[in-house]
Amino acid sequence: MASSTGRLGRLASVLVDYSTRVGPGDLVCIDTGPAAAPLVHELWGRVLAAGGHPHLRLDVEGAPELLLREGTDAQLGWISPVRRAEVERADVRIAIEADMNTRANTGVEPERQAHAERAREPLRRVHFARASAGDLRAVVTLYPTDAAAQDADMSLMEYEDFVYRAGLLDRDDPVAAWESLGEGYERLAEWLGERREIRVVGDGTDLTLGVGGRTWIPCDGRENFPDGEVFTGPVETQVDGVVRFSYPASYAGRRVSGVELEFRGGEVVRAQADEGNTFLQQMLALDEGARRAGEFSFGLNDAVTEFTGHTLFDEKIGGTVHLALGASYPESGGKVESALHWDLVCDLRSGSEVYADDELVYRDGRFVDGLH
Amino acid sequence: MTDPRIERLASLLADYSLGLREGQVVRIDSLDAGSPLVLALYGAALRAGALPYTNVGLSGLGETLLHQGTDEQLTYLSPIQWEELEQLDALVTIWSETNTRALSRVDPTRHAAYIAAQRKLSNRRWERISNGEMSWCGTLYPTNAHAQEAEMSLAEYEAFVYAACHVHEEDPAAHWRAVSTELQARADGLGAARELRIVGPDTDLRVGVEGRTWLAADGRYNMPDGEVFTSPLETETEGKIRYTFPAVYHGREVEDVRLRFEAGRVVQAEAARGNDYLQSLLEMDAGARVLGEVAFGLNYEIDRFTRNILFDEKIGGTMHLALGSGFPQAGGQNTSGLHWDMICDLRDDGEVYADGGLIWKAGRFLEEPVREVVESGVHG
Repeated sequence: MASSTGRLGRLASVLVDYSTRVGPGDLVCIDTGPAAAPLVHELWGRVLAAGGHPHLRLDVEGAPELLLREGTDAQLGWISPVRRAEVERADVRIAIEADMNTRANTGVEPERQAHAERAREPLRRVHFARASAGDLRAVVTLYPTDAAAQDADMSLMEYEDFVYRAGLLDRDDPVAAWESLGEGYERLAEWLGERREIRVVGDGTDLTLGVGGRTWIPCDGRENFPDGEVFTGPVETQVDGVVRFSYPASYAGRRVSGVELEFRGGEVVRAQADEGNTFLQQMLALDEGARRAGEFSFGLNDAVTEFTGHTLFDEKIGGTVHLALGASYPESGGKVESALHWDLVCDLRSGSEVYADDELVYRDGRFVDGLH
Repeated sequence: MTDPRIERLASLLADYSLGLREGQVVRIDSLDAGSPLVLALYGAALRAGALPYTNVGLSGLGETLLHQGTDEQLTYLSPIQWEELEQLDALVTIWSETNTRALSRVDPTRHAAYIAAQRKLSNRRWERISNGEMSWCGTLYPTNAHAQEAEMSLAEYEAFVYAACHVHEEDPAAHWRAVSTELQARADGLGAARELRIVGPDTDLRVGVEGRTWLAADGRYNMPDGEVFTSPLETETEGKIRYTFPAVYHGREVEDVRLRFEAGRVVQAEAARGNDYLQSLLEMDAGARVLGEVAFGLNYEIDRFTRNILFDEKIGGTMHLALGSGFPQAGGQNTSGLHWDMICDLRDDGEVYADGGLIWKAGRFLEEPVREVVESGVHG
């Protein structure tokens, strides 16, 4: 017990002191569900110690589903005044996923879910604009629950070990470990920034992405925790070829697997999933941007070695790449706008190659020249 | 599955207490322990076409702030709180403590500083409520902590709370509509009185009420409810009163309070326990020695003291007379930082006279044209 409390305390301190750098007078919005109460208590103390003003937004279990199932269109599309005020006013936002049932929304009609997503789009835009401008430091993390462990085919104890290991919280000085990884990511990002084109070749995949003039962003635990990726927004008209995603992908509580996409001129022209194909097609039809790749990224966290059914971890698996359908992050230079941002992960750890401007730079999950 | 009493309480709050309508923004405040009622109320508000959202706290966070926060953190009010307040059409407060004594050891001056800061926000809230810009209702979700204060098991306490709200039976709204009619008639009748004389054990008090408005508390602002009240004339209270139940203010109890009034002001006060606290509260400001409220508790489903003012002040057969601030809507003019409800049990020997005529004996009004309706409503 003592060691698990220790990890939780270290997680809180990394989130407050390293990820979001809370300082005196900062308004800190903690957004989560009741299952994460132990972490909220730790964070509360850390934020106060850092001189910040903690503010809690706690979901009530069952309320979001009730809205999705029973709400009128007006209710589904409504944004509460506090949500708006939080997005506009908070200096820091710490969002903690803590699902007690990751499939609670599976029975909800996809169109209703899409309606609710679209309504939240303006808020998301404010969030990203403030984050890009440096007015908002926002991090997303996960508190291990049985529901998430179940998705990973693990016991809660095994899953806790996995989560804390992925966050390097089993190290004596997690912050130093993240800083050192971050320096490596930064070098890689600078190097990739010089390239015009990335070509990914693997099992069922041969995809070319234009990245000329785009910025690669190193992710070292400031916006996601745990972290470990370097990403960019590909040129909107320069994505061509086919890609087959190795792992099932969940979005808004629904699982789609065996996804294969064909791109032409930056747009998805053919899409097929072995499981959840209808949902995939509905999400692609969400809006104009949903058919475009808003993000391309290398997963670089070697402490995450296995698929656990949760994007926060899966997209960081060392030796994978992922591509997101929908919105790009403006700081990468990407211009796709969409209510969707759906990360799909491709395992490149065996029989795969990546070329940068026709030069082989990555094989079987590792950069060849020791860049990472 | 879900306790049907919780569902009925939720519908009662949404449809009767707040009268939620399509498009109204309603916030539901609670601690995590109140989640079952929060969820039921959220659903009831959705069905009414309103726009509900929840504001749920975790027990223990306030305590961390009070123990650990700097003065600046303690008194901080966020722009988020101010902005959302202006947009509310309705607000529900669900009291649902998991430990009613969690703050007992907090430094009183720090606690006072925190309360004073929060009061700025609650003053603005009351301003909007009294201007008719928003509605509010306070209620309670039964927890073990509240049951423990009441010296009951959780199951017994649930039965007590839900009976007091009359949600143990079908159609509680019909009951409360009947109560509303009856209490309004009672308030109208009392409006004719110039002076009340309250007589009981160690009690003989005259309270001037001429020209003041009696108001019916019929389940709109509190659930449960059941009282009629006014603010007495500030300079006419004369005589003595002994409060039979412990008087609780901010979690601290004062037992066996005896007060003597002259020309509206307390001139002598003593308590068997907590006398220092009583004296310090009387010294709070000039208005603290003047009555701000006189009321009849008329909810006969509430038949015992449970150390919670939401219920205690409505015990059928009691009166409460509060020291401190009065109610402007009743004509009250007394202002004070204090509003301390103290309850006097009149169920055994109590008598109340209005302008010399006996109107109340042993906890019941003697005459009331619509009383039978209430009786059948309450007990039927």
